[in-house]
Amino acid sequence: MREKMLNIGNKKWFSAVFWILLLLIIWEISAIVVANTKRIPENILPHLYQIIMAAFSGEKVSGELSASQAVLTSAGQTLLRGFLGFILGGVIGFVFALLMKMSNLLGKMLFPYLMLIQLIPVLGLAPIILSITGDINVSRVVIAAILSFYPVATNTLYGFKSVEKEKYDLMYIYAAKKHEIYQKVLIPAAMPYFFIGLKIAAPMAVTASILVDTLQGDGGLGCLLSQSLKHAMSIYTFWLIVFFSAFIGIIISKIIGLIETAVSPWKRRP
Amino acid sequence: MEDKVVLKKMGRRKKLRERIRENPKWQKASTVILPLIFGIILVGLWQGQVLHRLFHTDTFTLPLLDKIGSIMADNKEKLLENTFSTLQVSLMGLVIGSILGYLMALLASFFPKFGQGGLAVIGAFASIPVVAMAPVFNNWTKDISRDASFRSMISKTIVVMLICAADMGLNAYKGLTNLKPYALDLMAIYASSRKKIFFKLRLPNSIPYVFSALKVSVPASIMTAIVSEYFAEYITGVGRQIRENIVLAQYSTAWAYIATACLIGIFAYAILMILQSIFLKRYH
Repeated sequence: MREKMLNIGNKKWFSAVFWILLLLIIWEISAIVVANTKRIPENILPHLYQIIMAAFSGEKVSGELSASQAVLTSAGQTLLRGFLGFILGGVIGFVFALLMKMSNLLGKMLFPYLMLIQLIPVLGLAPIILSITGDINVSRVVIAAILSFYPVATNTLYGFKSVEKEKYDLMYIYAAKKHEIYQKVLIPAAMPYFFIGLKIAAPMAVTASILVDTLQGDGGLGCLLSQSLKHAMSIYTFWLIVFFSAFIGIIISKIIGLIETAVSPWKRRP
Repeated sequence: MEDKVVLKKMGRRKKLRERIRENPKWQKASTVILPLIFGIILVGLWQGQVLHRLFHTDTFTLPLLDKIGSIMADNKEKLLENTFSTLQVSLMGLVIGSILGYLMALLASFFPKFGQGGLAVIGAFASIPVVAMAPVFNNWTKDISRDASFRSMISKTIVVMLICAADMGLNAYKGLTNLKPYALDLMAIYASSRKKIFFKLRLPNSIPYVFSALKVSVPASIMTAIVSEYFAEYITGVGRQIRENIVLAQYSTAWAYIATACLIGIFAYAILMILQSIFLKRYH
């Protein structure tokens, strides 16, 4: 029996579960404290069961929709565009890094700017992009694409540059053609870096598309967020959005991890 | 690669273009000249309003560069004041967060069984969008102080702190545990104590990882500070001013703040690079 307990303790997932449970317990204890001391506890820290109940209650919060329906429909609007931008930015970023690797001139010309663009707070540009494009859906896509573009581009480029000289030498001995070098050496070497870039980009793309919503009262998750913060609807809607977007952020990076193992056979080796 | 070139070109005179390309002086100069050319083209396109035609916009939404510059010069004091508030938040968050993250990595490396799971949970924090965290901490800090500017600052700092802590924790843990092969064996042969292994091997090994964490978290801390300013109660900071000015349709002032935000980012990164070259001297 004791051995069995120890075995469970050694499992990798066990410690993650332990920490999550610990966080939940801390949350609940603080919720009890808050409930006893504050005037409007649900603004600060509601009990978790209250949030879950709000998710499943059929009470209408805006028009015909219940809280979770409202969150999900507006999430669809916001996140689909964000996702489109994310994919677009990821693809452009990869192609861009590839071009910079292939052409010496282009690589040298653009490298410092690739470094500079990281330091520009693109989310600060969100209102400007909105006023340039004029359409909230287009600007969601554009901002998510810009935000996903540069982590992917820089990381992929690092990946291309990380290939050792010996590998080039070997390919030269094999009399490999240029496209074969790219296909067999450079692109596989850059793959892990490419996925790191995607993982950095994903939560930023979600943030960006929600943030763009708050700029214009035109529906969407961010709009719902600011409405519920102003108590235009139940405050639990706000908590639902918080948990939902956190969940989306975590799930996306997990999915990217899964895709990474699927496309990189060397990662599956035990 | 050098050998290959020599083999190919033997017995044939090189063309002028190739000779220029292989000249080491040109190679060095080109890393400066080529980006400069691109920059000049970009500025030319902007000032010549070609960019405006490209994006179907006007000089009102996308003001010319000299206009942005003159507005920055006119509003120097206000710009500095807001820059200070943003810098304060991002720097405090960065420092406290990075120290916390490193301590967590230390704990995790001492107790790997429980630490790894903890780090996984913290890594999950990093993928929570800032927009979800900022309003929560706004609510939590409502009772800290009566002064709206102070409690806003605290809530913004906490958000920055969490982002930086997650980043630093994950990287530093890699640095403390990803040792060179046989390094631990060598230390065992020297019969060194756990303390010695830690100070002579693990700690120095983690320093490059600390800098690679900072390379992500310095720009991220500024970006996070700017986004959490959007949600803060007290109106201050570069990010908030961008938004306020856009709402008032004062696009050129908003652009002045955007330019300031870029300058902050560039300066912070430059300082980090200088620090890195000092600290990582012995690693090269």
